[in-house]
Amino acid sequence: MAERVTESEFTLDTAAELAAIDEPSAIRGRSPWFLAWRRLRRNYVAFFFLGLFIIVVVACMLAPVYAKHVAHTGPNTNHILETVKVNGKETPVVSPGGIIKGKLVASIPIGPTWFSGGGRFVLGADQNGRDVAVRLLYGGRTSLFVGIISSLICVFFAVILALVAAYYGGWGDFVITRFFDLMYAFPVILLGIALGSALAIDGFHHFGINIQSGSIWIPTLVISYVLVPYVGRPLRGQVLSLREKEFIEASIAQGASPFRVMFVELLPNIASSVLVFFTLIIANNIILESALSFLGAGVQPPTASWGTQIADGQQLIVTRPWLSLAPGLAIVITVLSLNIFGDGLRDALDPRAKVKVSH
Amino acid sequence: MTAASFSVGVALIAAACGGGGGNKSTTTSGSTSTSSSAAGKSFAVFRIATDTGTDYLDPGLSYTVEGWGVMWNVYLPLLGYKHVNGPDGATIVPYLAESLPTVSSDGKTYTLTLRKGVKYSDGSAVKASDFKATIERDYKVDSPGVGFFGNIVGAADYAKTKTGSISGITTNDSTGVITIKLTEPQGDFMNILATEFAAPVPAATPAKDQSTTPAPSTGPYMLQSYTPNKQIVEVRNPNFDASLYGGNVPVGNPDKVVWDVIGDDNVALQRVISGQDDWLGYHPIPPDRLSSVQQKYPDQIKLFTPANTYYFFMNTRVAPFNNLKVRQAVNYAIDRQALVRVYGGLAQPTQQVLPPTYPQYKKITPYPYNVAKAKQLIAQSGDKGMAVTVWNHDRGLDPRATAYLTDVLNSIGLKAKQKIVNAAVYWTTIGNQATKAQIGFADWFQDYPHPLDWFDVLLNGQRITQTHNNNYANFDDASVNSQIDALKKEPVLDNKANARWASVDKEVMAQAPWAPFLNRQFTDFFYSTVDLSCYVNHVLYEFDYSTICMK
Repeated sequence: MAERVTESEFTLDTAAELAAIDEPSAIRGRSPWFLAWRRLRRNYVAFFFLGLFIIVVVACMLAPVYAKHVAHTGPNTNHILETVKVNGKETPVVSPGGIIKGKLVASIPIGPTWFSGGGRFVLGADQNGRDVAVRLLYGGRTSLFVGIISSLICVFFAVILALVAAYYGGWGDFVITRFFDLMYAFPVILLGIALGSALAIDGFHHFGINIQSGSIWIPTLVISYVLVPYVGRPLRGQVLSLREKEFIEASIAQGASPFRVMFVELLPNIASSVLVFFTLIIANNIILESALSFLGAGVQPPTASWGTQIADGQQLIVTRPWLSLAPGLAIVITVLSLNIFGDGLRDALDPRAKVKVSH
Repeated sequence: MTAASFSVGVALIAAACGGGGGNKSTTTSGSTSTSSSAAGKSFAVFRIATDTGTDYLDPGLSYTVEGWGVMWNVYLPLLGYKHVNGPDGATIVPYLAESLPTVSSDGKTYTLTLRKGVKYSDGSAVKASDFKATIERDYKVDSPGVGFFGNIVGAADYAKTKTGSISGITTNDSTGVITIKLTEPQGDFMNILATEFAAPVPAATPAKDQSTTPAPSTGPYMLQSYTPNKQIVEVRNPNFDASLYGGNVPVGNPDKVVWDVIGDDNVALQRVISGQDDWLGYHPIPPDRLSSVQQKYPDQIKLFTPANTYYFFMNTRVAPFNNLKVRQAVNYAIDRQALVRVYGGLAQPTQQVLPPTYPQYKKITPYPYNVAKAKQLIAQSGDKGMAVTVWNHDRGLDPRATAYLTDVLNSIGLKAKQKIVNAAVYWTTIGNQATKAQIGFADWFQDYPHPLDWFDVLLNGQRITQTHNNNYANFDDASVNSQIDALKKEPVLDNKANARWASVDKEVMAQAPWAPFLNRQFTDFFYSTVDLSCYVNHVLYEFDYSTICMK
């Protein structure tokens, strides 16, 4: 008789083991998704971080509510010459600078008021007198939008290319894999900067697609594009392996069309990997967006994003570290949450899989 | 030229226009002793933590404050400026020429004679014909400075063909005489002869960028090596003889000058604090470190205000800024004090073109901050709700200024968004008429201390070009144009001429093609062993490394 599987060994759970520990009368068909869910729900760490990610998403979704009812300002509204009452004392949002009492003094924005300013400038202000907390939440919306949408687009094209390349083989496979190799040859950040900078001036106006420069779709599409091979190549490998399985041969022998074989037979069998890739690549794309925005090739100012906020804050890193720390922490929490949940998902869906996103 | 740290070369356009003139012959002579070089104050090495703004180290190509800052002690023009602090630094003195030029009675012919015995760093003699070859080389290498020489007879034709020679320049190598004929009198021509673009290099110098294979030079220093974005090394020119220049060109105190190119302001500052470098070259002290640096090293900081104006241009050919009311509304709506704080407080607000360092400056305040009036003007203009794109580049503090402007434009009834492009292509992008840039950031640091460098280059409607346009506002006012053309013929900037320039300043601002907002101040910071009793900050070239001393 099989030994009872301990909680810590959930990743080795198999249908046979589950059947062995259940009462004979309870044995019934278990779908792979059911088994995955059963494994996943016992991974409390993954669920904790999923919860954390959901909190971040909800907080960012509520940015307009916070801006209107708590901070009473917008993400791009300048308050340079205004004052704010902090603990009953009027404090300039950006202090005056120049030669004051014979000394050179620089204008410095207000630091975090931690709700002692009536909800205004909770995390302080930037050099333009903009509320950092408001921009942090709006920046989160931008970063999450770019991260999630670019992941969707990236995974969609990667799956299509992987299926076509591996199923048909021959010249199609050759062309697609060489395209992957070509993309691999460039460091992702470098390629992202090159494309982001090139499209920053005139936008993209080809193939009937018109995207104005400065649009959030520019970094979204750039990030989608540069990461396609990092998802497509491993998926192609999986499809190549599945292509030789008997059930595929049987399907073909029964006269199934290539479309049916690819999307009805092969796709469900790589779905778990696709799902894991999607989760992990969101985190990856949020970092990439931040990096590109930090370097000026991503989201364009004054639109807030976590990357642009870190860049804005670097000149004041000594006296106003929260300008950079706050978006930095937001990135860490979001990315850590997604990565740990993604790892849990991978373990649940396919304990033997070695799916990871690295470049 | 545009801001020191944030620009690449911006082409100036030829066409120094104007009617004929009957000016009396002007002969100005001789050298004046202005050198602050200090015999016996020489020392081994002066190290500089410079920024990444050096574009070229080829006198025909460089057009940044950084590039000129390196080269003004390397490549000497026929004429130059006194190496002194304050307004006297704008005084033109002969460098390679024996004396200031003799100008014909009609103001169209300039005659100079080369000093005897002047040699290049490779030991070869400087010849009069080298000057002509240098100007022609400027055209061949598509120098951003060719616009300065467009008034020379034959230059326009040479610009088209780049073959033959510029007929308006004649030289005699045996006598050293150089004669330059102009199509029209030009009051700032001596200033133009004092630019790096006019600094002679051997006639055989290849017509391509010589930054990394430096051409032989005439100044107290020569370029030993240049590794772009890494290091520049200057050493003493073994063939430089300071006694030939009557004190106009310093001997130079450091035997060697090393420019370490450092990208980050904080890193550069730390290098100077720790003594790895001696001068924080062109880097601002980061705002949040200014107080602590001031507290710890109060004697090692110098504050200076070079002649500069930061402004928002408004394209008068494109809606809604083809409407005077909208342009005036923008001027009323921006709070210049707020913009001063955006720049860390080291600036003075302004509402006019000329900076306060100019003798022609007469303070005007035509647009006091008044948002209500701005909104009213926008409503009257009929352009309320119109979409506006605010242009800027991506470096330094400047994007903050347009972030502020965008917010202001939205608050007065326009629908504004910001467009940030890479600094490397920004100026050529907005200088291209095809871009139709509506409004955006610009700044100007003088090429030479003369009002023509502001009004003629930036606001003369007759100099508007299709590409490489410096008149970003496309401002073309017949009255202003004619006044600029008339003043261009004035050989001397006397009180009367200065008053007329002040009037032009006022008239331009009444039309509001710009919303000038501040004159920026900068700091020089030195390591504790640097003796600032020798400190010279020149009106044009800023810090003079050749005259500095060590404790």
